[in-house]
Amino acid sequence: MKSNMTRRNFLAGTGGVAAGITALGATPSKVFAGENTVKIGFLAALTGDAAGWGLPGLYGVEIWAEQVNAAGGIEMGGDKYRVEIISYDDEFDAIKATVGAKKLIFEDEVSIVLMLGITPVQAVKDFMTRNKMIVTTLVPTDISADAPYLFALSEVHPFYNVTAVDWIGRNMPNIKTAAIATQNDELGLSSQATYRAAFEVAGIEVIEENLFGFEVTDFAPVVSKLIAANPDVITWDTAYPDYVNLLTEQAYLQGYKGTIVNCTLDQYEHILGKTSKDFMEGFLWQFPDLDDPIMQGGDTHFDNAAAFYKTYSERYPGAWTAVSWEYAASLEMWKTAVGKAGTFDPPTVSDALRGLSPVPHAFGDAEWWGESFFGINSAALGKWPVVQMQNGKAVIVEMGDVRAWMDKHGDVLIKHFKALGVPTSA
Amino acid sequence: MTDLELILQTIINSLIFSSFNALFAVGLVLIFGIMQVVNFAHGAIYMVGAFSTWYLYSENGVPFFVAIILSTLLCAALGLFMERVLFRPMRGNLFGGLIVSVGMLFILEVLSVYLFGQGLMKNITPYFRESWHVFGIESITVAHSRLLVFAVATFILGGFWLFMTRTRLGWAMKACAQNPEAAALQGISIGKISMLAMVISAAMAGAGGAVMAPLVRITPHMGSPVLITAFIIMIVGGMGSIEGALIAAFAYSFFHTFVTTYIGGEIATILGLVLMLMFLIVKPTGLMGERESV
Repeated sequence: MKSNMTRRNFLAGTGGVAAGITALGATPSKVFAGENTVKIGFLAALTGDAAGWGLPGLYGVEIWAEQVNAAGGIEMGGDKYRVEIISYDDEFDAIKATVGAKKLIFEDEVSIVLMLGITPVQAVKDFMTRNKMIVTTLVPTDISADAPYLFALSEVHPFYNVTAVDWIGRNMPNIKTAAIATQNDELGLSSQATYRAAFEVAGIEVIEENLFGFEVTDFAPVVSKLIAANPDVITWDTAYPDYVNLLTEQAYLQGYKGTIVNCTLDQYEHILGKTSKDFMEGFLWQFPDLDDPIMQGGDTHFDNAAAFYKTYSERYPGAWTAVSWEYAASLEMWKTAVGKAGTFDPPTVSDALRGLSPVPHAFGDAEWWGESFFGINSAALGKWPVVQMQNGKAVIVEMGDVRAWMDKHGDVLIKHFKALGVPTSA
Repeated sequence: MTDLELILQTIINSLIFSSFNALFAVGLVLIFGIMQVVNFAHGAIYMVGAFSTWYLYSENGVPFFVAIILSTLLCAALGLFMERVLFRPMRGNLFGGLIVSVGMLFILEVLSVYLFGQGLMKNITPYFRESWHVFGIESITVAHSRLLVFAVATFILGGFWLFMTRTRLGWAMKACAQNPEAAALQGISIGKISMLAMVISAAMAGAGGAVMAPLVRITPHMGSPVLITAFIIMIVGGMGSIEGALIAAFAYSFFHTFVTTYIGGEIATILGLVLMLMFLIVKPTGLMGERESV
């Protein structure tokens, strides 16, 4: 067929439209007024590729706030303060994160800002530091010596990934080879470096790696190549939740028979539905259901973990993910520091946080760590669970000791961080 | 898996990917050829096909194949609406049509968020759970759900080819694409042909979304990467050339799949774009495009 439009016109028009598509609107999703209220900012992806690590966290934070408010609020200086959550969708985008950060500080006057990490955190880090605002990230590689109010309270991604591989090394001696596939971004690369290090320490050779971009729609060739290498274990590294879903389904459809170890396995009921209970049996990952017996006591520090999980699962059936509890767990630690500081003033609370020893982490007592990697001890590092699929249910098989592994093999990890160009001050 | 088996597996993966890309791109090219509209909403129609299949089949228990047919019809109706209400008033206005299609893209994406929420992908429990071992070889597999994509795309494109080459309406459509004024002088209704073309195009995108739904991320923005691939195919094939789009769809898909398999997924996309640029330098009109006279 013949066209009357020239390619120049076509490209000019489509380019203009593409530029227009980037328009942004950031609006608070929920605001309610009240006296004696402390405001908490939530600034993470609620839409887009990273929404799986933002939206479920907001659900968890809202449940946490309800539970705290139902108990009378946060006590500080003899008064009770209701918790108010103010959220903005940064779409995992630097510009939108900046807009949201300014609104949270100048308009909403929050006392802490909860963020996912990577690009949005890097975009607002200096601004937050200048305004002395406590910011939490789920990605410790964000922290640096020039950002003293930035903390990795709940999650020490990707370092905890070593625990599952360490468990494999001790419990599955027949596993000798591994293959890795993930998206090529900061999250994927830092995790890839960690898995490389963990496999090396465990005596497992990485025989195949495949990095893909965000535009991928067909995962069949990615999985075909991995399976062709006949690895004993495959990892999707820290692939985004939807990618894990589709990659795992492809492995099932292409007849993969080996072990899979991964950072996350969000909404695993859906993946069980797409594959089979037999195929998923033994799948290893790092994030438990909070109704696990091990989470109901011992030295864990997440109050009413089972009740939190029950409320979440009833309100959002099948929506439980790795981050459902993490932002809330960060708030638990912040609340402890507020109690010690006797104020909501961020710099004072920041000092109180640093004074916590041991750090009351959800998975047990932790210590401040990070100077060897990032020049500042702002990450709570301690234990992290190894979770295994058993008969269609997540079961904690071991509380791995990340700190001990790092003390023993940190140099191996630094080697692989540097090899992949992942920022570290070491 | 031996090297030969991996090559065979990659060829099969490429064929499946090609068939879908061809189905999607031909619909886009058809609209451009007949109506001179770069339909940015084509990816959103694909999204509607996937979402409606999920909603009908997974959420409401409508039989899978009935859901596919209903989703395709819904998208065809959407195409009819777009032609009558949006594109027809813009006929002859190249950028007006383009802007209207972008508006429709936003409306459909926001509507899907409003109706079905956002966050993680919608999950379809697959209708097919098994895979076919090609030639009885254990290591070479094709999921039945992927075979369905190939079968549906082949059926629709085959039917479309017969329609275009064996029916008076098809000839009229070709005539409209080649010279609308001359076609109108011969008594061909440009409005009716445009409407028919838009219905066919939207049905192709919708059917693609419906059969791909169990295999891809069902999200409001799922149409964007598919649309970008289709634009590459459209440019390489030659603007407005259906034959060119078919050839380019297969060439690009084979290239992309082989590079993904043997080098890496991200490199495949970069090399695909580089290849497109190099091709345009060598043959600016695309594979089957015609050089315009000044």
